[in-house]
Amino acid sequence: MKLKKLMALAMAGVMTLSLAACGDTAAPAASDAPAAEPAASEAPAADGEEAAAPAAGETDWSQYAGEKLVVWTLANDLIDFGERFQEQTGVEVETVVIEPANYPTKVQTALLAGETEPDIIVGEPQMLQDMYDAGFFADLDQFGAQDYADQIVDYIWQVGQSSDGVQRAISYQITPAGFYYRRDIAQEVFGTEDPDEIGKLFADYPTILETAKTLKAAGYRIFASDSELSFFSGDSAWVIDGKLNVSESRLAYMDLVVELYQQDLTAYAAQWSTPWYQAMSGPVPILTAETQWGTDDMNIWDAESFNAATEGMETTEVFAFGLPSWGVLTMRDNVGETSGKWGVCAGPAYGFSGGTYIGVSSYSEKQELGWEFVKFCTLNEDTANWWIEYSEGDTVSLLPVLEAHKDDENAVYGGQKLYAFWLEQAEGLDYSKVTKYDTAIGDAWGAAISNIKTGAMSKEDAIDEFYDQIEATYAGEITVER
Amino acid sequence: MGHSGHYIGGIDMAKAVSKPKKSNLTKYNRAGYFFCAPFVIVFLIFSVYPVFRTLYLSFTDAKVTTLNMHFNGVANYVRVFTDKYFWKALLNTVRIWGLNIVLQLGLAFLLTIVFSDLKYKIKGLPVFRAVYYLPNLIAATSIAFLFRTLLDWRYGTFNQIIAGLYKLFGMQYNPIDWLNTASTAGVAISVIQTWMWFGNSFIMLMAGVQGISKDYYEAAAIDGAGRWTLFGKITLPLLKPILLYVAITSLIGGLQMFDLPYLMSEKTSAAYSSVQTVVMYLYKFGFETGTTQLGYASAIAYALFLIILVVSIVQLKLVNKED
Amino acid sequence: MTIGYKIKKAIIYICMIVLALACLLPFLLMMVNATRSGSEIVTSFTLIPSTHLKENWETVFSFFNLFKGMWNSLVVAVPATLLGAYFSALTAYGLAMYKFKGNKLLFMVILIFMMIPGQLSLIGFYNLCTKLKLVNSYIPLIVPAIAAPGTVFFLRQYVLSALPPSLIEAARIDGAKELYSFHRIALPIMSPGIATMAIMGFIGNWNNYLLPMIILNKNEKFTLPVMMATLKASTDINSNQGAIYLAVAISVIPILIVFCFCSKYIISSISAGSVKG
Repeated sequence: MKLKKLMALAMAGVMTLSLAACGDTAAPAASDAPAAEPAASEAPAADGEEAAAPAAGETDWSQYAGEKLVVWTLANDLIDFGERFQEQTGVEVETVVIEPANYPTKVQTALLAGETEPDIIVGEPQMLQDMYDAGFFADLDQFGAQDYADQIVDYIWQVGQSSDGVQRAISYQITPAGFYYRRDIAQEVFGTEDPDEIGKLFADYPTILETAKTLKAAGYRIFASDSELSFFSGDSAWVIDGKLNVSESRLAYMDLVVELYQQDLTAYAAQWSTPWYQAMSGPVPILTAETQWGTDDMNIWDAESFNAATEGMETTEVFAFGLPSWGVLTMRDNVGETSGKWGVCAGPAYGFSGGTYIGVSSYSEKQELGWEFVKFCTLNEDTANWWIEYSEGDTVSLLPVLEAHKDDENAVYGGQKLYAFWLEQAEGLDYSKVTKYDTAIGDAWGAAISNIKTGAMSKEDAIDEFYDQIEATYAGEITVER
Repeated sequence: MGHSGHYIGGIDMAKAVSKPKKSNLTKYNRAGYFFCAPFVIVFLIFSVYPVFRTLYLSFTDAKVTTLNMHFNGVANYVRVFTDKYFWKALLNTVRIWGLNIVLQLGLAFLLTIVFSDLKYKIKGLPVFRAVYYLPNLIAATSIAFLFRTLLDWRYGTFNQIIAGLYKLFGMQYNPIDWLNTASTAGVAISVIQTWMWFGNSFIMLMAGVQGISKDYYEAAAIDGAGRWTLFGKITLPLLKPILLYVAITSLIGGLQMFDLPYLMSEKTSAAYSSVQTVVMYLYKFGFETGTTQLGYASAIAYALFLIILVVSIVQLKLVNKED
Repeated sequence: MTIGYKIKKAIIYICMIVLALACLLPFLLMMVNATRSGSEIVTSFTLIPSTHLKENWETVFSFFNLFKGMWNSLVVAVPATLLGAYFSALTAYGLAMYKFKGNKLLFMVILIFMMIPGQLSLIGFYNLCTKLKLVNSYIPLIVPAIAAPGTVFFLRQYVLSALPPSLIEAARIDGAKELYSFHRIALPIMSPGIATMAIMGFIGNWNNYLLPMIILNKNEKFTLPVMMATLKASTDINSNQGAIYLAVAISVIPILIVFCFCSKYIISSISAGSVKG
């Protein structure tokens, strides 16, 4: 969920973010160049597109004159989509962004109270099943959604269907995950920078551990945090037929995270924290149990002497980040001087995270107009092309557009053809692993891992504790077999 | 208010005076209804109704919505009283509150003694008092982010200072992850709470001391009583009601602790299960996505209330006994 | 006096000053760090301000508009405080000065509700707001202030101790209407007590977090504490710790300024509250 927010805000704050990211003391000279570029490209992109594109589709918008659509969403993207829709159709759009953690509750209370607002509602994969069951999403097939079935990446289309096979929501983006790695480090340590070859270094958990050790021996760290594998963990759902399912691969993941942590194989940054972002742009100070801050002659009360003293301090560079396709945007804003030195390869399993699925509220009085909006955001080639340009690299779900962009080379990744790669990753996805319990169970599993890796609990105790927690949280709903 | 004002204004003074005195008084007294009416109306809607609505929900199996809910007797209460995580949360709450109240009142007490000492005549009370009180004014959300950032494990200012100090003495400091270690996270939150509240307690105690007549002290001083005797025989007994007041209100407030621990913990952290408070547990079932079970959350609320009730009654009994 | 006395006194002063520094240091670090870049903060610590205030400022305000949050907090806290103060005084006066049927019962109920934790009714309260379509409105944050049992209790005691009934009776004989007597005679006499409760009430309303978080959906309606709490879920702003410090600093500074001017009143009202309570 954090991820949605990140992506959305990355866009809103393009300029300031790059400024902040480049305020690195080590590289003051570089700070101005990347900052100017996104700032300049943002506004004209929207205007230019508007002039070039004809009014979307063949719909006669005059019938909707004076109407207003209310959109409740959980990431800022739809604000941009809404504005563009308004520009092109004249239909007013009000977009309300709600904290992802509260989103389903808020929608539920509004709709069950019989509110006709919002007209457009959205959901992330783990929320959708509940929202379908509650009947919040209108049937899109009545508007002919199935005509577009072959235009959208398969897994997106399926996530958007309720259990009775009716299309209820569509996402404008695909979100498969991969590893973003440093080509220069790969070349130095492994003698190759080819994505296929590097992908083999991440092929399974034992191999990843070996890769991590090799990198540490060479003076690098494989990851900045120990959460980079989370998108690829688990080969089956957490809950199957009302039973908690802790598969072998979950346990293997647990063991790997504990190893990575206890053997100092990561840079100990927390995912999404300042040092984690900094690791994208180059060396970070590495503070482990053995190493200490600064040198003997440093004076902590004097900034200049402190900086001089810490300059020679032990630093390390991070090899890879595990992120979904929207990580492209995060990297874009934070890579700084390492731009062009990156590559993207596959992880140990197919994984994905997030994605905003747009649908129409079944309580809306403007369902037809709502469908037009969904179509505009997800099934319109103009919009998809605009979004690719406007977001500077997000991956859309519309196949013809992905196809058209499959030879696009991304400069940050040394000219790698990312759209082709993501499409390939998306094709391997199995969406059926997603359940509504994922967030709560995943958090409890994360706590169990933290307990083991910090030595607070033995593995048996931590797993027992995890079982107890799930039992207490979902009493009578999920059976726990130990 | 215009409405009731009009009515009261409608009472004709001359007529009222001509009537027997008793009914006259009754007439005036009737105005009491109108003075209390706004309170009663709002109170019924926004306080009484929710309390009973929650009570009702606590006997149902309502999950995310109140549609299709069924009466399920005391099942939620059985569940809550046998839920070890509820008790754990209660224990966490009491532990965090307990350490905080001991530190907070201890510190406030010490300061009160210092500032009321006749021999040393410490000056600057207004300035010190204001500075000590300052942290109490800041919203807990801001405090939470300030300390979260300061206490960051390997990149936070607090550990950097400690490391620097160690260095000055030629020692090595193995940084502690204050907020993600089970044994330190609760303590850290207690200390931050103390930091926020000791100034408040100090002001209250100081007000109590200033309310004690100087005559007591002078009389005792003439009798040759020492400083500690004065303190034990006069200050302490006279401050007792205020101390109790602070302790009781603090306990009721403390059992509802939410903001700081909620904002300073991560669900995936090893420390989470030792800082989760009762209200955080309630919030999990009342409002969080994926775990919303309104019936159960309501039962947690009532379980907490029952516990507060018992504690309050015990406290009152103790107070009465001593008096 | 002896040297021992002087040394002891000096030690006491040093302790007091150290404690005062402990109260101020986090704020000082906050302000210094607000001017430093993320990477500076991560690698070192200093009390000398740096030059990144502007970038941090831009990061913070590209994320949220804190001034809007402050304004929202004012829009909630001021009416809630005024309504709470006025109607509590009205109710307290009514309870203290008139003998009507149900008076005792109401007072009992007030006493009982003082013991009930606010969270007890949280679920039911939210349920009610949903039914009344008050979600995402300021009404559930403002109107319930009219019924504050604690304040009524405090002011009732205040009226009983500070307002002689003979004053009101004299006014009645002079032909004053009841509400007029309340406004012209009782309110001025009660004003110190009301001020005490109002100041405490304002601070409480300003800092309130849980209830606004539950009631409010739209970002543009968020009060300052709720807005600050969104920092937890946000990820992009975390790429720069300096921006977090700055956000906290901006949220804190208005209170610091107000406190500089009114610390005397605030402190005396807490003192008054404790003695009466």
